[in-house]
Amino acid sequence: MDIERFGEQGIRVIFGQAIDDATHESVRRFFLYTSSLNLPGIAEIIPSFRSCLICFDRERARFEDLAELLKGMEDDWRRMPLPDVQRIEIPVRYGGDYGPDMDFVCSYSGLSPEEVIEIHSGAAYRVYALGFMPGFPYLGPLDRRIYVPRQDTPVLKVPQGSVGIAQLQTGIYPFESPAGWRVIGRTMVRLFDHLNPPFSLLSFGDIVRFMRA
Amino acid sequence: MIEVLAPGFLSIVVDRGRQGYGRIGVPSSRELDRFATGIARYLVGIPEDAPLIEAMGNDLRLRILEETTFAITGARVRATLDDEPLLPWSAVRAKKDSVLRVAEVLEGLRYYIAFSGVIDVEPVMGSFTTNLECTFGGYHGRPLMKGDRVALRDIREPAGLLTVPETMIPSMCEPHLIRVIAGPEADHFLLGSVRFLANRKETVLFRATSRLNRTGIRLEGEPLGFRDEVERSIISEGLLPGTIQVPPDGHPIITLAERTIGGYARLATVADADMDMLAQVRPGDRVVLSSIEITEAERLWRAGRDALSFYCKKQ
Repeated sequence: MDIERFGEQGIRVIFGQAIDDATHESVRRFFLYTSSLNLPGIAEIIPSFRSCLICFDRERARFEDLAELLKGMEDDWRRMPLPDVQRIEIPVRYGGDYGPDMDFVCSYSGLSPEEVIEIHSGAAYRVYALGFMPGFPYLGPLDRRIYVPRQDTPVLKVPQGSVGIAQLQTGIYPFESPAGWRVIGRTMVRLFDHLNPPFSLLSFGDIVRFMRA
Repeated sequence: MIEVLAPGFLSIVVDRGRQGYGRIGVPSSRELDRFATGIARYLVGIPEDAPLIEAMGNDLRLRILEETTFAITGARVRATLDDEPLLPWSAVRAKKDSVLRVAEVLEGLRYYIAFSGVIDVEPVMGSFTTNLECTFGGYHGRPLMKGDRVALRDIREPAGLLTVPETMIPSMCEPHLIRVIAGPEADHFLLGSVRFLANRKETVLFRATSRLNRTGIRLEGEPLGFRDEVERSIISEGLLPGTIQVPPDGHPIITLAERTIGGYARLATVADADMDMLAQVRPGDRVVLSSIEITEAERLWRAGRDALSFYCKKQ
């Protein structure tokens, strides 16, 4: 675990250099443990692939004190039993109007739409982070056979529920939004509802499977 | 009650921001010029967490349907109340049915309008601020439109009608000098491109493009060069407002208040003391970056905070 200051109000807590299960598990332990403490002066804890970003309130806490405190907790969070992850199945309509980039994915990968769907819906993905937009899950790892680069220029508007892939990740757009990923399908499942706690269907660390609808 | 006769270019309800939901990707969407909003609330005597209006553009007109006090701070504007010119950054009493007009923005980009009553909108996830992309918070999750009626609760008249002295109003003229602290991926760039990070006397000049909104400000200038051995994007990670990210094309983007995670190299972070100025950068303005140490950034932040509280206490 490395602790680095980031800007004036951020602390990066880094658990590894790459995307892998061991790193993800450390991030999840640290995130769940420190979140449960409600430490005064900590405004946000944002977990992602290999780190947590802590945003702190300078009126209430000093970087040096928080860094010291976090270092001292390592044994506790490493030993903490982890709660079960939530497993969620998401029905997707693939291709056609729902997945305008399916043709590109097929020509890039040399696979048929059927094979792309088979591969995409055949794996379990972990929620490595939520961000870009509220409730948007960064899911991985994606099978290398359907690796595609991001769009050179983001598409200005994709519909709510669009399921995209890019590099070794897949994700779902919770709102109509611009998109840099290749859209291969769409789900009717609502990923984010600002009126109903816990607001986001998915949490950090959940496991997601896509089902052909 | 306030009736919107003309909303200007874009007017939204904001507050100090949504906090504690970064873990599910919810950004703060906060007011961008916090010095201006702090003063506006003080002038009209509303609490620090009360919402107010963040507006852009010419020809904003509001009919004030009940007697209240208001203040406009932030960008320099030419404003009138029933055709009487108003002093900038001042508390003004408005009679029932008077019309407030912001005819023109003279300097800066975003101005703030606060009333001596609390704008009556529902909190969403603990905040009144508007998330425009996701259409929640603020006034029904959207910008104000002609014909909207905004209710004010608990209207109370402030003890006096204050005017902020000219010397306390920040200049919003370009070029904007923005001080930054080196970021986590500062070493991903060619030394020749980022000399300003190594040497405090060096600066680098950019121009703000028209791709500028509450999410970020895209800058344009001599593209920053990446070192050959590094990846041009990073494993996505948390961002703070003010993080300067550099996409593969080498043109930096200053992150404002609508993102929690990013996947571009983080060149630097804007000093908190200079964040308010970013709210006032217009498309085409020159933006000059220079670097400072974090201790200096903290000193500047403390000085700014103390200046605000000194002004508010002294009155």
